[in-house]
Amino acid sequence: MAHPADRPEEFRSDSALGAAAPWSAPGSVQPRLNRPVADRYPQIRPTSGYGDSRIRRSGPGPGAGTDHDPERSAMLTGRLVVVLSVVVGQLWALGVGVDAWMQGHTSTAWWCTGFEGLSFLIALAAWRFGPTDH
Amino acid sequence: MTDEQHPGDADGSAVDETAAEERSRLQDRLSADSLTSRRDYLRVMATVSGGLVVGSVAVSAGVLPRHGDAAAADVQPLKVVDRLRRGQAVTFAYPTEHDRAIAIRLQDGTLVGYSTVCTHLACGVLWREDRGAEGELYCPCHEGAFEPREGAVVQGPPPRGLPKVLLAERTDGSVWAIGTAYSDESRLHAACRELNAKDSGVRLGHVACPNSARS
Repeated sequence: MAHPADRPEEFRSDSALGAAAPWSAPGSVQPRLNRPVADRYPQIRPTSGYGDSRIRRSGPGPGAGTDHDPERSAMLTGRLVVVLSVVVGQLWALGVGVDAWMQGHTSTAWWCTGFEGLSFLIALAAWRFGPTDH
Repeated sequence: MTDEQHPGDADGSAVDETAAEERSRLQDRLSADSLTSRRDYLRVMATVSGGLVVGSVAVSAGVLPRHGDAAAADVQPLKVVDRLRRGQAVTFAYPTEHDRAIAIRLQDGTLVGYSTVCTHLACGVLWREDRGAEGELYCPCHEGAFEPREGAVVQGPPPRGLPKVLLAERTDGSVWAIGTAYSDESRLHAACRELNAKDSGVRLGHVACPNSARS
């Protein structure tokens, strides 16, 4: 049998009589489900909520679904800028190191390699040790 | 009304399909681009940073070939030409057949030799007597130029001077290549370094060698 809502002629006739349609009446056909909330859920006391030690999660509330840490995005951009700057510095140091090595200044080339290593550590720190993402 | 199709309609539908296909491709490309986030860039750049460290270690450890290395001191002297007159230049290969070089007799009689591999992107360097006061070694790839006395850069993008080839002239007028130098290394310094590498007991007579061990 089709749902009453799918039969507009019956809906129209019910409305015309001024009484609610049976399918739209509030409550349940099972009386036990129509008891007051306190009767249905005796575990929920008037003090339930943030003061209830059983409540571990706030659940959806004010701010739910939004960014809890708005500065996180700016920090990510900042970390990216730091790493890009480090890479630019490394490219410069590599050029200096190659020139020095080609001119026979091997120790200068190794100093440049040390600089590259330190720069990499900075880039690694900016990448791995940023604020925890949600 | 007939069922005949006008040729113009067929053309129009083909154009529409092409445009739709192009839009679809553009959308796919933009979607693919948007998949690369800032975190991805961060990871990629950190990886690039690590790659640069590896490259730098390789350079310092001596992976790249270098003109003037001590290993080249094992190469025997090479007779370049029987006689080189003023204003003349001759090309040759030294210390190996893959190392292009040039010997030049300047107008004042000075004999100079250089590698002809440009220090910018390894193009072949040409001797151009008509350029500069005494001529120039000219790289046509990117307009680089080196002065002929010391091989220093006078123009263009080369980052270093030309490496020298040590030349010697015997009493019979023949010109010999006897050694190689690093970029921007003086002839005396290179000669002393290579003599030390050979450890042949030969010394440069009364000429005092500087500290030839470059560090």
